[in-house]
Amino acid sequence: MSDRTENLFLALPGLLLLALAFLLPIGQMLVLSVEGEDGPTLEHFSRFLLDPFYLGILWRTVRLSLVITAICALIGFPLAYIMARASPRTRLWLTIMVILPLMTSVVIRTFGWMVVLTRSGLIPTLLRDMGLAERNFALMQTETAIVIGMVQVLLPFMALSILGVLTRIDERLEEAARTMGCSFLQTVRVVILPLSLPGIVAGSLLCFTLSASSFVTPSLLGGARIQVLAASIYKSVTQVLDWPFAAAQAVILFAGILLVLAPYIRLTRQDRG
Amino acid sequence: MVRAAPFPLRIAGIVFVVLTGLLLLAPLIVVVGVSVSENQFIAFPPKGFSLRWYQEVLSSSTYLAAGLVSLQIGLLVTVSATLIGGAAAIAIHRRQLPASELIATVFLSPLVLPTIIYAIGMLMFWSAVFGSVSMMTLWISHTVITLPYVVRTTLAVLAESDPFLEEAARTMGAGRLRCLWFVVVPQCLPGLAAGAFFAFNISFDEAVLSLFLRKPGLTTLPVQVYGQLEFSPDPSVAAVSSIMIALTILLMIVIDRMLGLGKFASP
Repeated sequence: MSDRTENLFLALPGLLLLALAFLLPIGQMLVLSVEGEDGPTLEHFSRFLLDPFYLGILWRTVRLSLVITAICALIGFPLAYIMARASPRTRLWLTIMVILPLMTSVVIRTFGWMVVLTRSGLIPTLLRDMGLAERNFALMQTETAIVIGMVQVLLPFMALSILGVLTRIDERLEEAARTMGCSFLQTVRVVILPLSLPGIVAGSLLCFTLSASSFVTPSLLGGARIQVLAASIYKSVTQVLDWPFAAAQAVILFAGILLVLAPYIRLTRQDRG
Repeated sequence: MVRAAPFPLRIAGIVFVVLTGLLLLAPLIVVVGVSVSENQFIAFPPKGFSLRWYQEVLSSSTYLAAGLVSLQIGLLVTVSATLIGGAAAIAIHRRQLPASELIATVFLSPLVLPTIIYAIGMLMFWSAVFGSVSMMTLWISHTVITLPYVVRTTLAVLAESDPFLEEAARTMGAGRLRCLWFVVVPQCLPGLAAGAFFAFNISFDEAVLSLFLRKPGLTTLPVQVYGQLEFSPDPSVAAVSSIMIALTILLMIVIDRMLGLGKFASP
């Protein structure tokens, strides 16, 4: 047995599993999305892309994902910077603060938001008591609720992506900038921010992808009225039982995500090689 | 917190961290709070203190059945993902496979593909080929999505290992299998262990695949909770959730001991 055979044997179970239970099902879905009663057809796609109702769902999905990603980046960058420059003890606690929610089921975290956002919940009551909201003010089943819930779900991904890049930045660069007369904020803006851009971009793409395809949080916080693409797919699969249409929607989601990811993947390829 | 920052900014930084911490931890605190409430209805802040909802959960056959399904799948997935992913990571690390870059990408690809797309593909594929979904479907699909985590943690540990140990063992006359088992696998152990716990955590908490691939009698704990939330949540849902949070904290402590949570900082 040569080295090569040994390695092939080691990788084989995984390769088989991924080929049969991952690539094949996705291929099957691609095929189903163009399946018609008489031969291949694009009717499922045109049904989606020509209907204002579904276009509205698509636009809402994109819009919410952009807002969620932007908020995550705005909170994630300072958080990651503080994590990177804090004392080891503080950093450990901050890491726990970020990772504990990350490892908790999304269903449970959404449940927590449902409790505080509901009409008689903590946050609407507080806002009403402070006179900041009207009597019939509600947060549940609004896009705001989805954004709040999703930011909590995705912030850890953003913070960790940026932190990964920040920890590799030489601290002496900051010291140099300060010695040369930069104020702290100038240093952050001129030195740290540009250097951590790869982390911010990677984190943003991750957040956008995950929020565009998320299902549990938008469904529970947005309700049936405010549908996003993933919820529409789920509905087509479980309620309408229109699988080719569900497959077509999944392909549209997939294509959209690839469209966003492709330039980034090409960029990182060039970097490496 | 940040030494180089001027005083007012440091104060602002502390305020910012506290608020962000509140945002991140609020849902968990609320769920645990609701679970110990005496109230008949879900309310936060909770009124009084009682463990009756925990008692209710532990004597509810629905929750126990769902818990059992989740536990079974979680354990099966842990074993299969660790074995398959660990072996693959060893092979990828040696970089001797044909098209090894491509193979590494394939192994990490379930991370990039949104779970909902995989879930619907798997549902359609399984229905077309095997008919009705079963525990096997969930086992296989959960293994697929947890595989990248095991591959990554094992590769991370292998990257710091000494390649000459293996060479030395071979020169001293150890056979391939002996060398693999007594030299390579022990070096991978922390990575394999961390990957195993991740696999269990992800499988146990996973809701999307389990929602698409469910049928009566095959309901995992997150799906059961999801169903309750859609219809009639009462504080017993919070008690189940709190038990799951406790399990997460336990797993986190174990992973920290195995690999160190600091590893998260360099994804």
